[in-house]
Amino acid sequence: MSSVRRKKQLESAISIFILAVLAIIAAAILQKGFNTDITRFGIDTAAIQKTQTQDSKSDVVFELAIMVPAGFETLSAAETYTAENLYEKINGKAPLYTESGFKKLFTRRFVSKQNENLVMELFIYDMDTVKNAFSVYSTQKRPDVDALPGFAFAYRTTNALYLVSDKYYIEIVGFSEAQELFEAMVETAEKITGELAAGKVTEIAEMTLFPPENIVPDSIKLYVANAFGFEGLTDTFTCRYKLGDETVTAFLSRRENPEDARSAADAYYNFLLSNGGTAKSTAVKILEGRVVDFYGTTEIVFATGPFVGGIHEADNQKTAEDLAVKLINKLSETAKAGEK
Amino acid sequence: MTEKTTEKFGRRQFLARAGKATASIAAAGTASYLLYDPAGPTAAGKPEELVTLPDFSIPHRPGQTISIVKGTNRIETVNKAIELLGGLKRFVKPGETVAIKPNVAFASPPMLGATANPELIAEVVRLCYGSGAKKVYVTDNPINDPLSCFTLSGIGKAAEAAGAEVILPKNHLFKHTTLEGGKLIRNWPIFFRPFEKIDKLIGIAPVKDHHRSGASMSMKNWYGLLGGRRNIFHQDINTIIAELAMMAKPTLVILDGTEVMATNGPTGGSLSDLRRANTLIASTDMVAADSYGCGLLDLKVSDLPYLTKAQQAGAGTTNYESLKPVFAAID
Repeated sequence: MSSVRRKKQLESAISIFILAVLAIIAAAILQKGFNTDITRFGIDTAAIQKTQTQDSKSDVVFELAIMVPAGFETLSAAETYTAENLYEKINGKAPLYTESGFKKLFTRRFVSKQNENLVMELFIYDMDTVKNAFSVYSTQKRPDVDALPGFAFAYRTTNALYLVSDKYYIEIVGFSEAQELFEAMVETAEKITGELAAGKVTEIAEMTLFPPENIVPDSIKLYVANAFGFEGLTDTFTCRYKLGDETVTAFLSRRENPEDARSAADAYYNFLLSNGGTAKSTAVKILEGRVVDFYGTTEIVFATGPFVGGIHEADNQKTAEDLAVKLINKLSETAKAGEK
Repeated sequence: MTEKTTEKFGRRQFLARAGKATASIAAAGTASYLLYDPAGPTAAGKPEELVTLPDFSIPHRPGQTISIVKGTNRIETVNKAIELLGGLKRFVKPGETVAIKPNVAFASPPMLGATANPELIAEVVRLCYGSGAKKVYVTDNPINDPLSCFTLSGIGKAAEAAGAEVILPKNHLFKHTTLEGGKLIRNWPIFFRPFEKIDKLIGIAPVKDHHRSGASMSMKNWYGLLGGRRNIFHQDINTIIAELAMMAKPTLVILDGTEVMATNGPTGGSLSDLRRANTLIASTDMVAADSYGCGLLDLKVSDLPYLTKAQQAGAGTTNYESLKPVFAAID
C-alpha cells in the first residue's frame, strides 16, 4: 500500500511540475506577444519615436492665428504630411523634398470673407535646416521674378510668393492675380515668418564665399545631393556670373577636412573623364590636371583647404580659368582665416 | 499477493501508457509537419481575385491615327483634331457607354494647369453624347482628396453640366490586377469597376513637366488607375509608365498642349510655370501622341526613356511621323 501511495505522490509531483512549466511558457508567450520587437521586420523604431516627438512640437508651431490674414477665413481643414505620405499632396515632386531633409508639410487654404474668388493655399515645408530649406527654394526658383522686400530669401510671381524662413520653405499660392489677394498673402507671409523665425537669422555662410564681382543677382543655388548628376558632390552651392557676353557657373562645397575635399575633387574629375570628358591642358599652373573638356564645354574642379570648387559647363576655357583662379583665391583666404 | 498483483498491473499499464504517449507524439508531429507553412502569413492576407482591364482600342486607320491642331481655343482645336481622325462617330457608336479619364491629380484651380482643362472635358462629353453615347462617365483616382480635386479643378462641375456622371474613387471600386509580362504591376490594386462594363475609354491629359519622369502626358495619366501606395513606383518611374501604357488600351487619347507646364511640374503653383504652346493632339496611339508632345516641353524622345520602353513593349510607336500625322491650324 505504501508503495502505491508513493507512486501516486510521485505522479502528483510530476503533474504539478509539468503544469507549472506550461504556465511559465504561457506567461512567456503572453509577455512576448505584448512586447513585439518590430525591428526584426526592418522597421526603425528610433525613427518613429523621433517623428512622433517632432510632430508634437510642430503642431504647436502651426497655430491658425499666426496665418490667417485680416478679412480672410479658413476654406479647408489643416493638412499635414510626413515623408511617408508627402506624395499624396505633391506626387512626383515629393522626392525633391524628401531627398533634401524634408520633415513635415503643413497646408491650408484661406478665402476672403467678402469675395469667394480670392483664395490662397499655404504650404509650410519643415526642411529641418535652413540650408535644406534654401536648397528646395533655390532649385525651384522661377526665372525673372521680383524679390520680395523684407525677407532674406523671397520672391513673388504674379500669383504666388515663395520664401525661406529659418528651416521652413514657404509657398503661398494665390488662385487669382488680384492685388487684394496679393496683399493678404504678404500679410500671411509676414505673420508666419515673424512667428516661426522670431529672433533667428536666416543666413548661410557659404553664400558669402563666392567672389562678389559680376555675380548674377539671386543666382545662388544649393544642391543638397547629386550636384551635376554626381553622387559625390553633396551640399554644393552654385552661382552664376555674367562675364562679358558669357554666363558662367561656379560651384563650391565645404567638406569635413582638406583630405575629404581632395578626395571629392578627384572623384568628380574622374567621373567627368569616365563619362566622356577629356583632360585639357592649361597655362594656369594651379589648374594643371584640373581642367576637362566635356562635350565642348569646360569643366574645372579643384580642392583648396576644406573646399571643393570649380566651374561648370563654361563655353570659354579662358573665362572659366579666370573665374576659377578668383574662386581659389577667395576660398584660400577663407581657409587660412579659419586656420588662425 | 496484493503487491505482486499491483506490480504486474503497473508494468502493463506502463507499457500501454508508453505506447499511447508515443502514438500521441507521432500524431502531433505528423500534424505539425503537414500544417507547417514555411512562407508564413502574407501581408496581403487572403489572395485577391485578379482582373484585367478591358481592351478599348479600335483598329488604327492609316493616315488617321494622330492629328495635331494648332490654336488657342480648346473647343475649336479638339473638334478639329477629332474631325481629322474621322469624327467621334468613328470612336463612339450610338448606345455605347464611355468613360473619360482626365488628369485630376491635384486640388488645384484650372488657371494653374496642374489638371486637365474643365472646358475641354465638358466639350468631349458633349461630343460623346452628340455621337449617340448612352452614358458618359468622368472619373479619376487623384493624388489629393478626390472631392477637393474634382471641385477645385472645375472638372466635376463642368462634366456634370455637360451631362456626364462623375465617379469618385471608393475602396470597393478597386480590384487587383497583374500585367502579363509586367515587372511592377503584379497583384496590384487598380481603379477597375468604373471601366469594367463600359464600351469606350478616352484619356485626356495636359502636357506637364514632371520632376521625376521628365514629362507627364497621355501615358502618365494612367497613373491615376493605380491604387495602394503607388508612390513606390516613383523609384522606377520609366518602367511603371511603360507598363501603364501596356495595361491601359484606350480608344482615343487627347493631349492638351494649349498651355503647357514648362517648369516645376507636376504641381506647378505659379502662373510663370506655364507657357502657351497652342497645340492639341488627338491619337489612337498614345506613344506617338506623347512622342510629339514632349517637343512642346523642348524634350526629345530620348529624354524620356519610358517612350522607348513602351514602344518596345508594343504599346505604340515613338516615330509619330511614320503614322503620317494630320496637321491643321485654327486662326
